[in-house]
Amino acid sequence: METSALSALGELLGKRLHTSLETRTCYAIDATRKKFLPDAVAFPENAEEVRRIVGLANLHRFPVVPRGAGTGFSGGSLPVHGGLVLSLERMDRILAIDAANLYAVVEPGVVTGTLKDAVRKAGLFYPPDPASLNFSTVGGNIAECAGGMCAVKYGVTRDYVLALEAVLGTGELVRTGVITMKGVVGYDLTRMLVGSEGTLGIVTKATLRLIPHPETVTTLLALFPDNRRSADAVNAIVAARVTPSAMEMMDRTAIDCVRETIPVDLPEGTRSALLIEVDGGELSAARDADRLEEACRSCGAIEVRRASDARGRDELWKLRRSISPALRRVGAVKMNEDVVVPRSRLADMFDFLADLSARKRVTIVNFGHAGDGNVHVNIMISGTDLEEYRRAEEAVEEVFRGTLAFGGTITGEHGVGIVKAPFLEMEVGPAGVSVMKRLKECFDPNGILNPGKIFMEEKAGPA
Amino acid sequence: MKNDALKEMAGLCAKCGTCRTVCTLYPHRKTENAAARGKVLILESALSGENADPSAVQEAMADCLLCGRCERICPNLVLYEEIVMKARADLADEVGVPAWKSVLFGKVMPSDPAMRVLRKAGAAAERLFLKKVPTGSGLHYRFPLGFLGGGRTVPKLPAKGFIESLGKREGSFGEAMLFVGCVFDHLYPDVGRAAYETMKASGKAVSVFRGAACCGLPALVSGDRKSALENIEANLRRLREAAPPAIVFPCGSCLLMFKRNIPMLFPEGTPPHEDAAFVAGRSTDYASFILDSGVVDRLPDPPPAERPGEIGYHDSCHLTGTLGKGPEARRVLEKAVGGAFREMEGADLCCGYGGTFNIRDYPTSARIGENKVSVAARGGTRIISAACSGCVLQMRDMAARTDPSLRVVHIAELVRRALS
Ligand SMILES: Cc1cc2nc3c(=O)[nH]c(=O)nc-3n(C[C@H](O)[C@H](O)[C@H](O)COP(=O)(O)OP(=O)(O)OC[C@H]3O[C@@H](n4cnc5c(N)ncnc54)[C@H](O)[C@@H]3O)c2cc1C
Ligand code: SF4
Ligand code: SF4
Ligand code: SF4
Repeated sequence: METSALSALGELLGKRLHTSLETRTCYAIDATRKKFLPDAVAFPENAEEVRRIVGLANLHRFPVVPRGAGTGFSGGSLPVHGGLVLSLERMDRILAIDAANLYAVVEPGVVTGTLKDAVRKAGLFYPPDPASLNFSTVGGNIAECAGGMCAVKYGVTRDYVLALEAVLGTGELVRTGVITMKGVVGYDLTRMLVGSEGTLGIVTKATLRLIPHPETVTTLLALFPDNRRSADAVNAIVAARVTPSAMEMMDRTAIDCVRETIPVDLPEGTRSALLIEVDGGELSAARDADRLEEACRSCGAIEVRRASDARGRDELWKLRRSISPALRRVGAVKMNEDVVVPRSRLADMFDFLADLSARKRVTIVNFGHAGDGNVHVNIMISGTDLEEYRRAEEAVEEVFRGTLAFGGTITGEHGVGIVKAPFLEMEVGPAGVSVMKRLKECFDPNGILNPGKIFMEEKAGPA
Repeated sequence: MKNDALKEMAGLCAKCGTCRTVCTLYPHRKTENAAARGKVLILESALSGENADPSAVQEAMADCLLCGRCERICPNLVLYEEIVMKARADLADEVGVPAWKSVLFGKVMPSDPAMRVLRKAGAAAERLFLKKVPTGSGLHYRFPLGFLGGGRTVPKLPAKGFIESLGKREGSFGEAMLFVGCVFDHLYPDVGRAAYETMKASGKAVSVFRGAACCGLPALVSGDRKSALENIEANLRRLREAAPPAIVFPCGSCLLMFKRNIPMLFPEGTPPHEDAAFVAGRSTDYASFILDSGVVDRLPDPPPAERPGEIGYHDSCHLTGTLGKGPEARRVLEKAVGGAFREMEGADLCCGYGGTFNIRDYPTSARIGENKVSVAARGGTRIISAACSGCVLQMRDMAARTDPSLRVVHIAELVRRALS
């Protein structure tokens, strides 16, 4: 970045522009652990500041990379071409909770869990619940269209975004969407922005749909001797006409990882686990839980645990929530994919992955949102063996090809970012890529916003 | 900066960001630099040679309360506190301990005669420089100047420390030994006395570790390994000689030193490690002693509370968070004050003292602490009890700043009241 650009930014932001190596280092990573140093980090406090920063970026032509909490798994908030990281963490106010019209208005830096707690106090429910909900931000969730455990019943972030305020790459401030239940005026720009990974606009305010909070929640943890039987149980549950509010599957390697980091007692022979949740009125939830338990047992569960109080539920969830970070123990480098297949193909997908792991001689840890066919495929490698790295890369490509062959998609919630950019065309085809690129030009003609993401381009910096 | 062991420990961090939301400091800084993930990144860049400015890295490492909340939530079991302490020590070797810290901890704190001189001088200085403020917990003085942070209140320096006030033979022999700690010896001798007297109510003979040096925590967390080791080795030598069956700590931070930090300093299998393990095995917190030695059973039934729920208990980061000693104090309180005790709002919020952090950045320390005591007071608590010296010191200051009728006591003082 030119010094003239830096001094203009400094004039605008004062102490809220950081250029020290220490701060830049802190904003050089996300949960992919890849590292790209930005030239500076900005901490705007309102939409007007964001607008002016993007204005300066157009004038001086420096990249602007929006960032929430930096918990992304696809490298979305990495400044691969340097430039400015624009951290939205200080725009973190909940502006309104409207219980009559069932919506909340928030700034993008609000931590998702904080919002969920706040609306809960009003008896309301904001369903999206990525595993990172206690530390990722609403803005980041919107930009990635984060999904979560409850997607099987309640859908994903997209389904709860009513309206947005955003600064486009041109520096224009737009307001999209409606706060009413219905509205069909023109193109749906809100949906364009959701999942756009910070490449079209910077969300500065969001209006989110709320629903009444379910009365009770019951959690079940069903332990199985193998993946096929838990995949069967998933289908048995669907056949029993119960829609769980969460249905998570963990395979043996995933279970073993967590066992190493936290104490969990599981019966002999546990090789696969299903974590299932049902919510609703007290009676209906209990009845649903009974049906689920029955379905799991009939599919060969070794044990089914059940809890309805917060503490007991938390204990059951611990296994699932601890997996992702605990994976670090299996291999220094993880190639983390979040493919989705139609639910009925889950068992086939798990067989395919087991075979792939054997063929490519790499450890593959699988867990995920089984209810919606979303499998987190984690290929774990040492990171020091080049040959192994090559095999892992081949495995990743095969995972994508296999997923598409099953009728699935290569990313269910983490986004394309830099890690899936090479495979975009594989799924959407050349015409799809072309129209997406033209849209990008409309929103961001100078390519200011988050360059290097989603689309393949000249080789990005070092990994 | 180079240190392979440290690099490996830091390398366990998955950069997931889980630690951000629990960090005590983060809400006040609102930058990654404050939370553990940022610190680990800065340290890694120093260890890889990318950041070649050790003073800047030292600054970054100093900006942390070592409350340990990040470490307790980290799904990857990153040993954050150990990493930071080791890094601070390495950096101090490289660029030196910041001057004010070396004076404070290397020279003043550990040596008892120096403390006595300071106290005498302080008593005179108080009259000259400090403004009296009314509080519920005895006289406090307020620094009128910016020195050490404007508006800070300090305890009235007592004429005599607790150990100094003991009779010649008093507390010279016993099955349980009291390690009173600097603060409860020199600044709040009455707490030291309360601990001593209530321990004696067990019927056991209680001795006082008279020749104790400071536990070494302030020096250690400042990276001043040399001063810390001097104190630590002296303490270990004497404790090993005396070999009391139990060593009782009214201060959770001192206990953490003896239980975890000191054994960590010496390689396993070496004689100092064995000494440290010997002492650690006999070290216990005040409340556990009161429970286990039967003092609790001797407490008369408390009268019905005049103001139910007015007494709360603060979970010290080190005592409850790290060492898991929280239920014991509550059981003691339930027996000692009955219905006057109620679980306090924000019991597990850090008080913001953070040892040297309080001196490094008093305004932030005070904001954290004021929030702590205000949350408790809003929830109806009028008397905050605790069992760590730093917390008592800090929360008394914060109470004086926000709500002078709010009182902060050590649980030993409540036990003593119940006994009398
Ligand atoms: C342990 C763990 C578990 C996870 N579990 C899940 C899960 O279950 N489901 C799931 O979907 N994800 C999960 N994730 C991934 C991650 O948490 C999500 O992608 C999350 O939405 C990212 O939010 P963030 O605030 O950290 O955004 P960041 O990582 O900072 O940014 C993500 C993207 O959003 C853009 N962005 C951020 N804020 C804005 C804004 N205001 N306007 C425009 N663009 C913006 C960035 O440029 C970037 O492209 C998990 C991550 C971790 C570490
Ligand atoms: S919680 Fe642990 S692993 Fe995650 S970023 Fe913090 S220190 Fe690293
Ligand atoms: S020890 Fe406390 S203040 Fe320091 S990083 Fe961890 S949580 Fe934050
Ligand atoms: S905790 Fe503090 S006051 Fe107590 S002995 Fe240790 S250093 Fe001294």
